[in-house]
Amino acid sequence: MKWLLSSIVALELLTMAPAYAEDQLNVFACEPEWASLAREIGGDKVEAFAATTARQDPHHIRAKPSLIAAIRRADLVVCSGAGLEIGWLPVLQQKAGTSNTQRGSEGYLAAANYVPMLERPTRLDRADGDVHPEGNPHVQLNPHNIALVATELSNRLATLDAANASVYQSNYENFIERWQEAMVRWENEATDLKDVPVVVHHKSFTYLLDWLHMEEVGSLEPKPGIPPTSAYLEELLRSLRDQSARFILRTPYEPDDASEWLSEKTGTPAIVLPFTVGGDDQSVDLFGLFDSTIATLTGAPNVE
Amino acid sequence: MLKTKLAASAALIALLSNTSVLAASEEDIEMLRSEIQGMKEAYESRIENLESKLEKMESEKVASGQVATAPVSRGAPSAANSFNPEIGLILNGQYSSFSEGDSTIRGFGTPGEGARGDEGLKLGESELNLSANVDDKFRGSMTTSFASEDGTDSIGIEEAYIETLPGMGLPTGMSIKAGRALWILGYLNEQHTHVDDFADRPLPYRVFLNSAYNDDGVQLSYVLPADLYTEIGGGVFRGDDYPLGSASGSGPGAWSAYARVGGDIGDDQNWRIGGYMLSGDTASRTSNDGVVSFTGDTTLFTADMRYTWAPTGNPYEQEILFQGEYFWRNEDGTYQDTNAATGKVAFDDHATGWYAQGVYKFDPQWRIGYRYSQLQSPDIPVGLAGSLLDSGGHNPDAHAVMMDWSNSEFSRFRAQYNYENPASGIEDNQFLVQYIMSFGAHGAHNY
Repeated sequence: MKWLLSSIVALELLTMAPAYAEDQLNVFACEPEWASLAREIGGDKVEAFAATTARQDPHHIRAKPSLIAAIRRADLVVCSGAGLEIGWLPVLQQKAGTSNTQRGSEGYLAAANYVPMLERPTRLDRADGDVHPEGNPHVQLNPHNIALVATELSNRLATLDAANASVYQSNYENFIERWQEAMVRWENEATDLKDVPVVVHHKSFTYLLDWLHMEEVGSLEPKPGIPPTSAYLEELLRSLRDQSARFILRTPYEPDDASEWLSEKTGTPAIVLPFTVGGDDQSVDLFGLFDSTIATLTGAPNVE
Repeated sequence: MLKTKLAASAALIALLSNTSVLAASEEDIEMLRSEIQGMKEAYESRIENLESKLEKMESEKVASGQVATAPVSRGAPSAANSFNPEIGLILNGQYSSFSEGDSTIRGFGTPGEGARGDEGLKLGESELNLSANVDDKFRGSMTTSFASEDGTDSIGIEEAYIETLPGMGLPTGMSIKAGRALWILGYLNEQHTHVDDFADRPLPYRVFLNSAYNDDGVQLSYVLPADLYTEIGGGVFRGDDYPLGSASGSGPGAWSAYARVGGDIGDDQNWRIGGYMLSGDTASRTSNDGVVSFTGDTTLFTADMRYTWAPTGNPYEQEILFQGEYFWRNEDGTYQDTNAATGKVAFDDHATGWYAQGVYKFDPQWRIGYRYSQLQSPDIPVGLAGSLLDSGGHNPDAHAVMMDWSNSEFSRFRAQYNYENPASGIEDNQFLVQYIMSFGAHGAHNY
């Protein structure tokens, strides 16, 4: 046992020196949008790592070795929360998270705890599919939510790294000012989208539709998390005869077959929205994400 | 409210301007218009200002934490059962059909779990798991398995352990687990069988570990502070579980050590490799329904590797998994086969085994897989000739192909075909169909 402990200490000394030379705050973001927000507010004081990309379904990520190594370095973990990462984040946190980045700690920020949640189920039953008791976790597509999380994030950064608190505060103020302006612009640009009916693949766009007052008239998944079946799609097709949709929306990580099939049958354009930072070429940051989303929706065919 | 005020004042102004318009000149009207326009603009900008201030205040209020529960009403109910543990149940049933009556793996002592299961329709192992954080420093978990073997129902403690939480204050990345657990030893050993990609465990797991090593003991694991995932650890155990057995006295009967590393290759590929060892005294270990017994020292080395590939790193849609493990076991002691009346025969040799498997998920609900496993039996002393430990130079091997369908991550059906050569001249065609369902709390899976 003794040799084991001493070799652990020796190994630790060997490996820790180079990786910890810089004094940046390490932010582990479960999804790219939170990494992008951390860069906005942290500036060069933080090193933000995104655990997933826009091409990956954040519900289903493997607790892979690289993520264990990454969460070990984290001073702050920022995630959507509301059970979105329940299949992989707890393993990482238990295996190598610091005590300060566990649930309920200063170093763990779940966006869902700071925004008004939509679609909180009134009953919890797995027969209803992959339901999230806390509500729909895809909160990032309402920019007002981004602003709310930004406020909390700047508080957390200031607490964790008090020496740079003033930097975070001024970065935050700068960001919020630009963000408010951008929101007014997006809302003006999107006025024509009010009441526009859409079909979604998964309930990924609930917050976007709520923000722009668009209407969801159907989803390609029969139940959240259950892949589309041909029988269900036929049924959806029939229901769309009475209530036609303007778009069929999906994220970059969702397969195209169901939405292309429905698009062909109905003539409704199937479009991919970036969903998060990195979701298309224009979505290099949060501003780009919403610029691109609004431009795609307003520029798509069939909009008067 | 502000908007109604604005509307009211606008209406008033409009009314006033209307009455005066009778006598006013074009110039006056124009002046009034621009005045109204100016007022309107001023009001609008003030309102906009106020709105943004309000929004900022609201967001600050939410953020300050004092009302973190207000907008989301996340207040937990405070009933007496609020602190009940997470409860999860696994249900599992199987149909098996075998072409051979006897499937004894020759050349090895094969323990109970290592033998193939019962033929026909049969309830598989049902597992009940209870787990919860004990307090800020410890987590506890217990998994009881309910099985039915040869017509008798039995309950077993598969796992019952406590482990330290990061709140314990150990160095980051370090944790200690104590009790009975599926210890870190190779890839499959750590996981419950219901998570496996095949309906049965590969040959080396069956003969070397009796399906899994879950002795009583303590194990420490430590993820090193390196950019590349590197984990080391080790433990001490009672020495009661196969491949060890019948521990007595107060000293630990066995110890283990391991190291593993892993990482990514781009966004699409992940890998992990590891080396493990387990060593201990075996006071007395019986297998093959008490026919074969061994006493002596056992040392087991294992190497594992796992590689996963998913387009864009999104395993939900499509994925390929490769996994392989190699076992090397040395035994130094005496072997006895009571049926063959060998008496105690001195034995010092090693046996090896390995398997490799690939699973292809071609649709979110469908997967197919192939596995090959092989054992290399040890050279035996003449005293054991003709016993179950005498493989006659045959190396047992097995092919398995499977296909499974999952309605959701909580339910799975699987069909599997095995072609096994457990002994010279024996070709066992096995057909297995199983379902695995889980409900209640369901812990996240390891890589």
